[in-house]
Amino acid sequence: MSDVLVQGLAGIALAVVAVALAWRLGLGLSKELALAATRAVVQLTAVGAVIVAIFEIPALAFAFVAVMLTTAAFTAGRRIGGIPNGRVWAFVAIATPALTATGFLLAVGAFDFTPRAAVPTAGILIGGGMAAVSLTGRRMTEELESAHAEIEARLCLGDSARDALRPSIRRAIHTALTPAIDQTRSVGLVTLPGAFVGLLLGGAKPAEAASTQLVVLLSLLAVELAAAALLATFVQRAAVAPGERVRRLS
Amino acid sequence: MALECAELVVGDVLRGAALRVQRGEVVALTAPSGAGKSTLLRAVVRLVPLDGGVVRLDGTDVATLDPRVLRRRVGFVAQRPVMLPGTVADNLTYALDEPADLAAALDAAGLDASFADRDATRLSGGEQARVAIARALTRKPEVLLLDEPTSGLDAPLAEAIGRHVRELAAAGLAICLTSHDRAVVTGWADREQRL
Repeated sequence: MSDVLVQGLAGIALAVVAVALAWRLGLGLSKELALAATRAVVQLTAVGAVIVAIFEIPALAFAFVAVMLTTAAFTAGRRIGGIPNGRVWAFVAIATPALTATGFLLAVGAFDFTPRAAVPTAGILIGGGMAAVSLTGRRMTEELESAHAEIEARLCLGDSARDALRPSIRRAIHTALTPAIDQTRSVGLVTLPGAFVGLLLGGAKPAEAASTQLVVLLSLLAVELAAAALLATFVQRAAVAPGERVRRLS
Repeated sequence: MALECAELVVGDVLRGAALRVQRGEVVALTAPSGAGKSTLLRAVVRLVPLDGGVVRLDGTDVATLDPRVLRRRVGFVAQRPVMLPGTVADNLTYALDEPADLAAALDAAGLDASFADRDATRLSGGEQARVAIARALTRKPEVLLLDEPTSGLDAPLAEAIGRHVRELAAAGLAICLTSHDRAVVTGWADREQRL
C-alpha cells in the first residue's frame, strides 16, 4: 500500500473515532464532525490537484489566492452579520494585512518568489487573518449588546461615541489575539505547528523547518493584530450613529 | 427656564410630550409604565433621536449643541445605575478634569474615603445609585435627570437619596425624575407633571 493511502486511511480512522465518541457522549456533534471531516477529505484532495496545476501555470496562483480570500471573507463575514456589507469589510480586513505581509516576505527574500512558496504563505496568513476577524466580529457584536449600558454611561459623561466604544474594541482585540499570542508563546514547548511538522515530514532539516515556522508565526502576530484592528474600526464606524450615539448591530 | 421640552415625538412612544423644569426645582414626571418617561429623558440628552419637537436648555435648542457638551450640561442617571469597570475612584474621576476633586465627589455620594479603592461593580444597589449620581455631578451639570432613582432600593436608602436630591435643588440644580413611588413624588418633588 502506498504511503499516501496509508496516511489517508489512518486519518479517516481517527475521524471515525471522533464521530463515534461524540455520538456515544451524546454531544450532538457527530453530524458536524462527519461533515467537517468529509469536507476536509474532498477539499484537500481537490486542492492537491489544483496545486499541481498552479505549479505548472503560475498565473493561476493569483486566482487561487483570490478564492482563498473570498472564502475567508464569507466565513468570517457570517460573524458580523449585523454590519451592512459585512463580508466586504471582512475581505478588506483580511486581505490588506495578509497580502501586505506576503508581499513583504517575498520581496525581502524570506521565501522564493514562486507559486510553491507564495501560495502556502498567503494561505497561512489569510487563515490567521480570518480567525482574528471572526473573533473580533463576534466579540464586538456581543459587546455592543452586553456593554450597551456601559457605553451609554460613558456617552452620558461626555465621551464621544468613538471614545465610549474604545474599551469594547480593546476587549474584542484582546480576545482575537489571545490564540495567536498563546500559540507563539508555547511553540516548541506545548505544540509543534503545522508548517514545522510538514517540513520535517517532507524531509527538511530541523533548523530550516524551525526558521520557516518562526517567520510564519511572527508574521501571523502582525497580520492578526492588523486584521482585528481593521475589522474593529469598520464595526466602530457602523455602530456610531449621528449625534454621538452608538447603535446595536444585532 | 433651565429645561424646556415641547411637542416631543419619538416614534410611537412619545406623541407631543412636554416638560419644563426651572433652576432649583424638582419635577416628578409621572405616567403609566411604557408611556415613554425614560424615552423622554433619553431624548433630552440625545441618546434617542427626536422625530419632532424641540428641547431647549437655557433657551438654546439642544439640536444645535455638540452632544458631548449637552451631556456635560445635562446629567442623566439611568434606571439601573451602571458602574464602569474599576474602582469607585475610577468611576468618580472618569469625568473629572482634576483627580484632586475625588474627595468632594466621594462626599457628594455620601461615601467615606475607604470606598475609593473598592470595586464599583461589587457595591450594593444603594451605593451604586449614589456613585452614579455623584459621577453625573462631577461634570457640574445645570440639569440632572434621574430615571426611577429609588428603583430596587429600600426605604432608608431611598430617603437618603431624596434628601440629597433636595439639597442639590436647593443649591440651584434643575432636577427632573421619574418615579412610580407616590412617596417620592409627593416627598421629593416641588411639582408633578403627568406625561
